Amino acid sequence: MSTAAPTRTGAARRRGPQDRQRSRARTRSDLRWFWVFCGPFVLGLVVFVYVPVLWSVYLSFFDARNTVTPTTFVGLDNYAYLLTNRAFLVSMGTFVVFAVLIVPTTFALSLGLALLVWRARFAAAFFRSAFFLPTACSYVVAALVWRLSIFNGARFGLVNAGLRAVGLDPVAWLSGEHYLYWVVLVSLRLWLQAGFYMVLFLAGLQRIPTDTYEAAALDGATGWRTVRWITLPQLRATSVAVLLLLAIGAFQAFDEFYNTLVSVGSYPPYARPPLVYLYLVSLGQGTQDLGVGSAGTVILTIVVALLGALQLRILRPRKDEA
Amino acid sequence: MSTARGPVRGGPEVVRHVVLGLLSLLFLLPFYVVVRNALASPAELVSASWVWWPADPSLANLRRLFADENVQFARSLLNSAVVSVLQTVLTVAVSAMAGYGLARVPSRWSRVVLGMTVLTLMVPTTVTFVPTFVMVSSLGWISTLRGLVVPVLFSAFATFLFRQFFSGFPVELEEAAALDGAGRWRTFTRVVLPNAWGICAAVGTITFLNAWNSFLWPLLIGQDPAYRTVQVALSAYTSSQRVDTAQVFMGSAVAILPVLVVFVVLQRQLVQGVERSGID
Amino acid sequence: MGIPPARPALPRRRFLTGLGATALALGAGTGLAGCGSNTGRPSGGASSSAPAGTSDGPRPAVSQWYHEYGEDGVEAAVKRYAAAYEQASVSVRWNPGDYDKLASASLLTADVPDVFEYGNGPTLDMIRAGQVLDLTDVVGDAASQFSKPVLDAMSWEGRIYAVPQTVDMQLLFYRRSVLEKAGVAPPTTLAELTAAAKAVTTKDMGGFFAGNDGGVATLASMLVWAAGKEQLNAGSSGIGFDDADGYAAFAAYRDLATSGGLVRSASADWFDAAPLTNGETAMQWTGLWTLPDVQDKLGDDFGVVPFPAVGANGRPAVPFGSYGSIVAAKGKDPDAAKAFVRWLWVENEADQVDFSNSYGTHIPAKPALVPQATKIATGAGAEAARFVNELGHAPSKLWTPATSNALTAALTRVVTKNADPRTEIGQVAATARTEIARAKG
Repeated sequence: MSTAAPTRTGAARRRGPQDRQRSRARTRSDLRWFWVFCGPFVLGLVVFVYVPVLWSVYLSFFDARNTVTPTTFVGLDNYAYLLTNRAFLVSMGTFVVFAVLIVPTTFALSLGLALLVWRARFAAAFFRSAFFLPTACSYVVAALVWRLSIFNGARFGLVNAGLRAVGLDPVAWLSGEHYLYWVVLVSLRLWLQAGFYMVLFLAGLQRIPTDTYEAAALDGATGWRTVRWITLPQLRATSVAVLLLLAIGAFQAFDEFYNTLVSVGSYPPYARPPLVYLYLVSLGQGTQDLGVGSAGTVILTIVVALLGALQLRILRPRKDEA
Repeated sequence: MSTARGPVRGGPEVVRHVVLGLLSLLFLLPFYVVVRNALASPAELVSASWVWWPADPSLANLRRLFADENVQFARSLLNSAVVSVLQTVLTVAVSAMAGYGLARVPSRWSRVVLGMTVLTLMVPTTVTFVPTFVMVSSLGWISTLRGLVVPVLFSAFATFLFRQFFSGFPVELEEAAALDGAGRWRTFTRVVLPNAWGICAAVGTITFLNAWNSFLWPLLIGQDPAYRTVQVALSAYTSSQRVDTAQVFMGSAVAILPVLVVFVVLQRQLVQGVERSGID
Repeated sequence: MGIPPARPALPRRRFLTGLGATALALGAGTGLAGCGSNTGRPSGGASSSAPAGTSDGPRPAVSQWYHEYGEDGVEAAVKRYAAAYEQASVSVRWNPGDYDKLASASLLTADVPDVFEYGNGPTLDMIRAGQVLDLTDVVGDAASQFSKPVLDAMSWEGRIYAVPQTVDMQLLFYRRSVLEKAGVAPPTTLAELTAAAKAVTTKDMGGFFAGNDGGVATLASMLVWAAGKEQLNAGSSGIGFDDADGYAAFAAYRDLATSGGLVRSASADWFDAAPLTNGETAMQWTGLWTLPDVQDKLGDDFGVVPFPAVGANGRPAVPFGSYGSIVAAKGKDPDAAKAFVRWLWVENEADQVDFSNSYGTHIPAKPALVPQATKIATGAGAEAARFVNELGHAPSKLWTPATSNALTAALTRVVTKNADPRTEIGQVAATARTEIARAKG
């Protein structure tokens, strides 16, 4: 609100009581408008995010089986149970293993694809589309294709047919032996995600000013050296963003694990990431332990919030400048 | 010869394109598998040696898929369409308004709301599905359209994107409208939004994709077969007594089709949306 | 499908206890006439044959849920039974997919089915949370007509919470010609099974199949019983297999799994006989309900045996159990729902026999009706009924889903990660103790 209000004559004049009145009215009206614009969103956040989280904190202190209005207060028992429960701890370990497997591979593949596509002279658009297309596919459909057709453990799966063609025995990919299911799950997510992150890298590559390259070329830098010493360092911000997005994405894994491994009424004890474990405990597999499920939600929320806070801390300063 | 991207060489270029070609084939392979399986006969699906293309490709599976009363596939497609469109339109509307409010309407509450938004950004709503399910079930919204659409409308990410965009929106346009006597709402709908088509399309395309492909939430809420979305209907085959593989793949092919169309038509918007989701 | 992956527990009971084998010995005709007064016609009582909606006002509406049975014709049949009921308008919902989760989740909401089925009756948690109604009065005097262990599996603290619909059991099918050609006799011990599976394995046909998970979900409890142990110990305070026999049984199954004779992956899961009839495996552990399908595809070229004994103290075993019809507490008209359940599953014996016998093969829950079930009168069906009578095991509420899941997980780890059976079973013991303490406390 400027202190010098230009009038029609163009000359400034002093602020008077009328201006203060007008500015109070404007502030009141602003307040109203603020809530008109932001109201629905805030209401939705409160009702569907904040209240449930608080309710789950409440529920986590009760023994709530098959009911959402429990009466038996158990204090920290649910938390103690979870933190000493092998299945829960194994699920956190599963997340770590999964993240270690998927994050570097996706990063490398998507960066590699971006570098290849970016400098391609022919059909770059076609290649870009081909790699980006899997993003349109849902995790459910991809899991079905991987489970029933490509990595089907019976002799007629695509990979097994290939193995048999070269004289090897078919492999039961999803049976839990030798951790082979990781091949299935990692390749699945890799296929689905690589294109998405490739696009992020392409955007980052495009942001690099061309004179950087011209200057480097003048100095004699070419090909791989350009990539190593010019391109990659300029992609640092994008890289960090990609790594964190990948990690948080790995934490939220549910759809592909569930659809690849579930069978009638049961889910194997291996390959249970945290969300699958949470789902099985609170709503599936014959038990409906909402107290433990709520405690698990609280713990997982804290973990993912830490990851998210890390992401924001590293990336936020840029956004505030905008 | 030299371009802005650096000097061009013959050999490496060929290698690059060969590699790209092979990788593209690999990436398109699963789509081929879906189509092949959708058109194959049950015998060909389990045959000992891989059948590259069905001898007699027919749409018999399509007929069986839609005729199966237990799965109600046509109904699930309709549900997915309704839910996705509603979710897209409403999410864009709610987030655009909130983003504009945060960017352009000064208020001491701005910081609070911005903080809440950032907080929600840090905790993806997938992680809090248990309590949200409890809340929705207490409202009596299980197996209803409301329950499928409303709880997932409030995207902190979309609001943030819109806020960024509107912050950078040329103030002059809005001031001109104000001088012409337009109130806040008219300024928003008549002046700002029409010029924000790009970001709306980007956010809308991403939201539509996510809504169509969404699984966990519809699994929890759409329990009545009449309220299942297409992803849940397909998933039901894995835990069903009878896995009619050919039907599953035909269903998958049908389920992918709309998003492929959206993808082809709105690829640029989609790419824009993706770019903004990482850094900005 | 029949029994869900077994969560059973009781000391082995004879199927026919409570009625006595004498009733059966009386033979078909006379035995039948002597049992109970109802012959399957809709119950006399208050619900007379007045046409619906005339004198009593509008009929109450009752919703009923079933899971998707694998056999053809079941859906049409259950809808027929429901349509024939005149005292209420019953709408049947057929649910493909993960039925257990669907049913239990719906109990939390207002959208509750009035009548629904669940494997071996409601879970202990459902009973204790008051989500299901006490049906002791619905069964009433007819309690003695039902097979006692089956009914006990659906009871808790003396009250009955579900009415058995039909009894399912599982057994081992084998291809007679394949075993003969390899010079192998049908296995009576697990060691013989391991050897036989290995002997008959060829490039095109595997030896033994019990599920795409390597058979662990469905065979975990079988190993316990086949070792001569019980799931719960004598005082029902903990598990009954935390000893050398138990550990040895798990180790023996690991030997089978790693011997090369186990089929890890097939075109269908264990409850569908397709892998057997397709020639993917020579032996398969599956349910009695697949019998018509097997007879159809293989003719005479098959035989059945119970699960072979394990270890020195073991004896062959088969599981049996039943989906029970349950009335939800929060339904809109519990009395109408109870009346319907009574009419269909307690009194309407013609429909009960039809349900058991006409689609797939099952054993009627009332032993007196067994002679009417033609499919189990001769051949493999009769043998199966004999297995159930002599070697059958049925569940109890104290063997909760959590304990059952722990057992499956333990066996999986022993088989796939080469874990030590003693540690694994010890963990199951700990889980069971906690669960039982919670149940009793």
